[in-house]
Amino acid sequence: MMSANAPLVSIKSLRKSYGPYIQVLKGLDIEMKPGERVVVIGPSGGGKSTLLRVMMGLEKIDSGSITFGGEPYISSKGSDKKTVIDTEVRRSIGMVFQHYTLFPHLNVTQNLILAPCKVRGENKVSATKRAHALLDRFGLGAKANAYPAQLSGGQKQRVAIARALMLDPKLMLFDEVTSALDPELVAEVEQVILQLAAQNMPMMIVTHDMWFAKNIASRVIFCAGGVVVEDGPPEQVLGSPKEERTRDFIDRVFHIRH
Amino acid sequence: MALDFSIILRFQEALALGLWMTIKLTLICVVLGCSLGFLVGLARTSRRSLLRAISGVYVEFFRGTPVLIQLFWIFFCLPLILGVELSNLASGVIALTLYMGAITSETFRASLKSIGPEQLDACVALGLPRRVQVTNVILPQAVLRAVPTLLSNCVSLFKESALVSAVGMADLMFVGQNISNNTARPVEVLTVVAIIYFVIAFPLTRAVTLVERRVLAKLAI
Repeated sequence: MMSANAPLVSIKSLRKSYGPYIQVLKGLDIEMKPGERVVVIGPSGGGKSTLLRVMMGLEKIDSGSITFGGEPYISSKGSDKKTVIDTEVRRSIGMVFQHYTLFPHLNVTQNLILAPCKVRGENKVSATKRAHALLDRFGLGAKANAYPAQLSGGQKQRVAIARALMLDPKLMLFDEVTSALDPELVAEVEQVILQLAAQNMPMMIVTHDMWFAKNIASRVIFCAGGVVVEDGPPEQVLGSPKEERTRDFIDRVFHIRH
Repeated sequence: MALDFSIILRFQEALALGLWMTIKLTLICVVLGCSLGFLVGLARTSRRSLLRAISGVYVEFFRGTPVLIQLFWIFFCLPLILGVELSNLASGVIALTLYMGAITSETFRASLKSIGPEQLDACVALGLPRRVQVTNVILPQAVLRAVPTLLSNCVSLFKESALVSAVGMADLMFVGQNISNNTARPVEVLTVVAIIYFVIAFPLTRAVTLVERRVLAKLAI
């Protein structure tokens, strides 16, 4: 049984490298409580995106473990350090990527109902009904039969979010979801994520948009060089960071020093 | 000597029969060749090195040698190896299918490779089982992307099929040569035969553009 204060996600000494020389995650420890909205910030190459990809089970790990709702679902086992992923547990997690990754040969509704029908065996009629309700909620009702190529970047990303929500995830991962968008399209995507936040959807967000980070985070983690440098409420980490490296980074992204 | 195209009118029926044979042969070999090509394309992108090696040798051999020699080889050598006499049609079908399989496998291989790894990331993030990833995500995109090149492959096959006349199959080319030999009017007869090939091949090449503009542009793939 999960108690109210038990962590939703528990990451323990997570290590990950690409090849023998490039260590991306150097022993990461993060505990995330239910209902938390964690924004991960930090310089490029600091391991933010890799962390999210590992949590989604898209990358192998060198060592460490991750539990979700108290159940370990990613670990490395045996002498050859094989990454073991419990796909049942992983299904509680949804992810949205920088480059939308919609299926180009399927229209919006088909994109949304593919996984519910094929993974959960939901019938097409009920999945389509849920899909249309979700699209209406995101202001995409008119696009139900459009193909991804006929949508703007902002619309594509909202469809991608809706597609992930079709599986009723208990945690959402957002990996730089507004980085590929034209500036005027960023707000419509952020609005949708704020809408989810208002419903207490737990989420972990990697972003370079500090305004968005401030508005959505219940907690901010500054990640650099493969480790957690600073971790605390947004007012602290973004407003008056304790660590030198965090301060440098925040100053630079807010263009305070010239 | 003046050109006299009226002579062709006397051989309408023979030319029609030849054309029918050419079309029949092309259609059979398109269906069989594309199916073979898809399987070979999968084998060439397989993780198993033995599959990759066998399919690689097959493709390089058939792409790297003249179709005419392949045709003669199958017509003359295969019966010796198998110990059965093959009809003209059978050896023509076997030769052109093997040729079509080799060139379309390259088309399918390229289209399979052009599907980015992020599509697979999305599949994993949605928890799609491997079988669904292949049948609902990878296959349809691979086939759609291959369509323009496959249509070009079909046009090539349609024209290359004229080679079967060399082993005595009564296709359009064979009939044309016969008429031209018997009437001593090669210019008129072969011109008309060329026009017939063109009239059929040209719309097909236009169809390639149409598919690219309409279908693929809509899906942007």
